[in-house]
Amino acid sequence: MRLNLITTRRAFRGLQPSDADSDVSQIDNEQREKRKIGFGFWVSIGWMVLVVMAAFLAPILPITDPNQTGAGGRLDAPNWDNWFGTDTNGRDMFSRTIWGSRVSLTVGFFAIVFGFAVGGPLGIVAGFFKGATDKFLSIIIFILFAFPGLVLALLIISLLGQTLAVVCFTVGIIGVAPVARLARAITISTAEREFVAAARILGSTNRRIMIREILPNVTIPMGALAFLGMALAIVGEGGLAFLGLSVEEGFSWGKMIVLGSASRTLQKAPWVSMFPIGVMFLTVMSLNYAGDRLRDFFDVREVGIGGG
Amino acid sequence: MGFVLKRIAQMVAVIIAATFLAFTAMNSLGDPLFNVVGFHASVDCDAVLAGEIEDVSGQGGTDVGDCEVVEAAREKYYLNDPLPVRYVRWAGDVVQGDLGISFKNSMPVTTIIGNRIPKSIFLMVVAEIFALVIAVPAAIRAAYKANRVFDKSATVSSFGFISLPNFALGVILFYLFVVKWQIFPSRYEDDDLFSRLRSTVLPGMTLALPLAATYFRLLRTDLITTLQEDFVLMAKAKGLSDRWIMFRHVLRPSLFSLVTVFGLSTGGLIGGALVVEQIFVIPGLGRTFVEAVIRDDFPLVLGLVTIISSSFIAINFIVDIFYSVIDPRVSRET
Repeated sequence: MRLNLITTRRAFRGLQPSDADSDVSQIDNEQREKRKIGFGFWVSIGWMVLVVMAAFLAPILPITDPNQTGAGGRLDAPNWDNWFGTDTNGRDMFSRTIWGSRVSLTVGFFAIVFGFAVGGPLGIVAGFFKGATDKFLSIIIFILFAFPGLVLALLIISLLGQTLAVVCFTVGIIGVAPVARLARAITISTAEREFVAAARILGSTNRRIMIREILPNVTIPMGALAFLGMALAIVGEGGLAFLGLSVEEGFSWGKMIVLGSASRTLQKAPWVSMFPIGVMFLTVMSLNYAGDRLRDFFDVREVGIGGG
Repeated sequence: MGFVLKRIAQMVAVIIAATFLAFTAMNSLGDPLFNVVGFHASVDCDAVLAGEIEDVSGQGGTDVGDCEVVEAAREKYYLNDPLPVRYVRWAGDVVQGDLGISFKNSMPVTTIIGNRIPKSIFLMVVAEIFALVIAVPAAIRAAYKANRVFDKSATVSSFGFISLPNFALGVILFYLFVVKWQIFPSRYEDDDLFSRLRSTVLPGMTLALPLAATYFRLLRTDLITTLQEDFVLMAKAKGLSDRWIMFRHVLRPSLFSLVTVFGLSTGGLIGGALVVEQIFVIPGLGRTFVEAVIRDDFPLVLGLVTIISSSFIAINFIVDIFYSVIDPRVSRET
């Protein structure tokens, strides 16, 4: 019964009576460790809250206009007026880093929303009905998987144009396959559980079972994936910026790093690229760490390679 | 063997689907003729040739002569046929080793790819060697003395490297080694093996460090698990040296997930070095692909998509087979 790809033990604290029997006696120290979410998790969350708040409040924060040239000299080193220094056009890098986060975080957030909105139902339906439906959907998922992510992104963006919506959508598409695969695996193991059988005996329709019984059990372990996925999406946007295919209007962390990484700028003023890199790194690391902790906490693990 | 045949069929089906997807997308969303005949491509030439209207483009200058050029181009690239027919014709050519002619410089796509592919493969090999050379000894050492200083610091820094986007790492390495200390050349040099190696060290490192971090984490976990096994205790009781136990008895059964991920990441690197090739200006497959996409060079883009996704899928396939050889349960499941 447990040979499925994913075992989600302890999806809910109260919902799972099996927690009380056999497993408990075998829990060793390492697992007890996993049950504490830890201090680092809250530090990561704290950093993310800070970054998101700054992005939201950028218009009312007392910072210089990010597009105002001459907020300092050209390529000034970090100082009291310009905390992160200034770029080639004398624009304040601190303010630009805050404003740039708006595009990066938007892509990170909406890409994941899209990936979950499409991949989640796909995976649940495939895992719930099994048989021909599963075969068909699994092949679609596999094809998406088989396409190298950036190659796909490049194709789509060059064909549809470099707007914010297209970038979100494209990065989101890359996320569909992994989300669907995990959702499918969790669904398969959840569908075998007693409460699903109970619901079926009570006469629930398939739709109701999927929404009321399966979905909540899939959502919680998937939350961990959302953090990891958001980190990947933010990095993905940066990668697109390096290929010249990020959003055309406005600027993001990725685009700022590209601008700062020109040889001459790098030579005279490494801070122009290093500050956005640092902030992006901390954000991505926070997301990864929080996601990792959540995954351990909910004990989502992949067993075997799955697919097909 | 039935399992292998089934996987081969699946692999071929996926390659066909992937290329068909790219083919359809490029032909329906882009304008395949734009590069050949310029803006005339968008003119309703049937109407012009029939003499009904003089110029529909509104840009002036499209006359019957231009339209004949367009017609000829449509004929030449078979654009008058329905899409599935064109796909089948294209796929038929591909099977015979003909990927078409690049729109931009009229060179055969196979020649262009043939020129570029060794650089990408070289980069991939260097990166994987670096990654293994860093990860395997570090993991052995970390697992040998788990939870001690070395293990702790290696685990923390591996987490950092996983979170550092490869372009950020590339920029940092470029700044330190090219701009600041000027140890490595800023341009890609390819005169002899030495200069090629020298130019590949930094991009190789950029790809290798995050990979090494992933390998390290996997191998360390697996080694620690294996070290708990009874046979290790048995070996210790027999009085074998720690070194012998580690390399002869523990390492081999722990390599399993490392091999899997190694295979997958190698597949990804074939076309996945797009960004790194861009930063270090390496004329490999990734950079060619970016240029081809930006210029709408359809035959070249399609050729590259075919090559990149096929090798990715093929390596996935080899990993799967390898997996089922080691663990026969896999083939029974599917």
